[in-house]
Amino acid sequence: MGEDRVEWIIFVILGTWLILSALGTVFVKSPIHVILFFLSTLLAMAAIFLALGAELLAGIQLIIYAVAIVVFYVLVITTIPWEKIKRFGGIYKSELMIASPILFILFLLMSYMVVKGKFAQPVGFVKDNVKDLGEELFTSYLFPFEVASIILLVAMIGAILLGRKEE
Amino acid sequence: MESLLYSLLFTLVKVLIVFLTALGVGAYLTWFERKLAGHIQNRLGPTVVGPFGLLQPIADAIKLATKETVIPRGADKPVYYMAIIMALVPSILLLAVIPWGPGFMVNGKYIEPIIADVNIALLLAFALGSLSVYGTIFSGWASNSKYAFIGSLRKAAVVIAYEVVLGFSVLGVILLAGTFSTVGIVEAQIQKGVWFIVYQPVAFILYLYCMLAESGRVPFDIQEAEAELVTGYNVEYGGMKFGAFPLAEWYVNVIALSAIAVVLFFGGWDGPKILGPLSPYFWFVAKTFALVFFTIWLHWTLPRFQAKDITEIAWKILLPIAILNVIITAVVVYIF
Repeated sequence: MGEDRVEWIIFVILGTWLILSALGTVFVKSPIHVILFFLSTLLAMAAIFLALGAELLAGIQLIIYAVAIVVFYVLVITTIPWEKIKRFGGIYKSELMIASPILFILFLLMSYMVVKGKFAQPVGFVKDNVKDLGEELFTSYLFPFEVASIILLVAMIGAILLGRKEE
Repeated sequence: MESLLYSLLFTLVKVLIVFLTALGVGAYLTWFERKLAGHIQNRLGPTVVGPFGLLQPIADAIKLATKETVIPRGADKPVYYMAIIMALVPSILLLAVIPWGPGFMVNGKYIEPIIADVNIALLLAFALGSLSVYGTIFSGWASNSKYAFIGSLRKAAVVIAYEVVLGFSVLGVILLAGTFSTVGIVEAQIQKGVWFIVYQPVAFILYLYCMLAESGRVPFDIQEAEAELVTGYNVEYGGMKFGAFPLAEWYVNVIALSAIAVVLFFGGWDGPKILGPLSPYFWFVAKTFALVFFTIWLHWTLPRFQAKDITEIAWKILLPIAILNVIITAVVVYIF
């Protein structure tokens, strides 16, 4: 039992956790349980990043997705009185009909990629991936980074305008 | 393979030590808090069980554990139970990134008294600190009680606001130290010979505010507000299930956040060697305890803010100050 085997075992555990919680997100009925499964999915994702050595990505996954974003979902979902809204029991049939061929094609594409493609290989041992990522973001990828920040700013101003009370 | 087994074993031992100490100290802080509150309010505090009432936490634990389990009608049972776990786990996990002392050699093996020395330790600490908000929100929601739910919504608003300020307030320290790692930050302070509170007093005050807000301590304890909400989000929990929430939020969280404050601003285990090889641990624990003491002292001295004031202070006053602090620090670090 070498280091590779241990890595493999950890990956299988985390992967199972991820897949089970993703399935839960789709199939569970109560919206609160859905959001809990979704949270679990995000945590599993962060754990996989951590296991792969992408520490900064794991930290950001936790702090941005698992906390900042999901907390707003939770706030909205918990404050809506679900008893008063029409309960929907089954599975969305027409949506499933439309989505399944697309999903099948996507699955085929991804299987092709996995079977024929090459896996990304680590270029070299990265000592401090926080620093390296920061340098990359502010040098080679400065323009897309700034564009993303402006898009977010526009979205924020839009949200403030929409949420503003009429005087 | 051998080294892997060893490191697993070491980690397990470290986890056990930290876990048991944290829960034990957390339980005894209840005694300490009641004693302190008693003396602040000119009374004696617990005196009956054992000398100085020292056995009071054990008596409380037995009382809580033997109480009848009552679950409110219409409560969502799985979420109701899960909420306890969601409140406890992040607070305890926070302790994983705290370095209690410098590394040392035993039988040619380098041992660090920290469970997880990752280079995103601080990010992880803040992520876990805010993950504990789910325990509060879901416990309030699952109880099917309006008092509990209002309490949990207030807590959510507070955590969202103060998490942002917290992130910005410590950026100054990170700029000075050049790393996210808790061990690295302490080593940077020892190397410079100056604790970061000297360079970053504003950041420390902001951090203190955020620490009080995140751990639901006075003056930011509106989610508990006994007078209006009858202690808020945990009102529908009974017995040991009730005991878990204050343990997580008021004690373990306060210990962990104080320890992180010591790492960030007070030089971690740095201090004169008065106890030989044990002095780093002594200094770390002493500094952490001083901050915990300060928090409890405030708790029994100050009145509480209104709900709307708390979030307004965070967004309109603290956040601009924090951002200004980061910009000034960045410019100064860049120039020198």
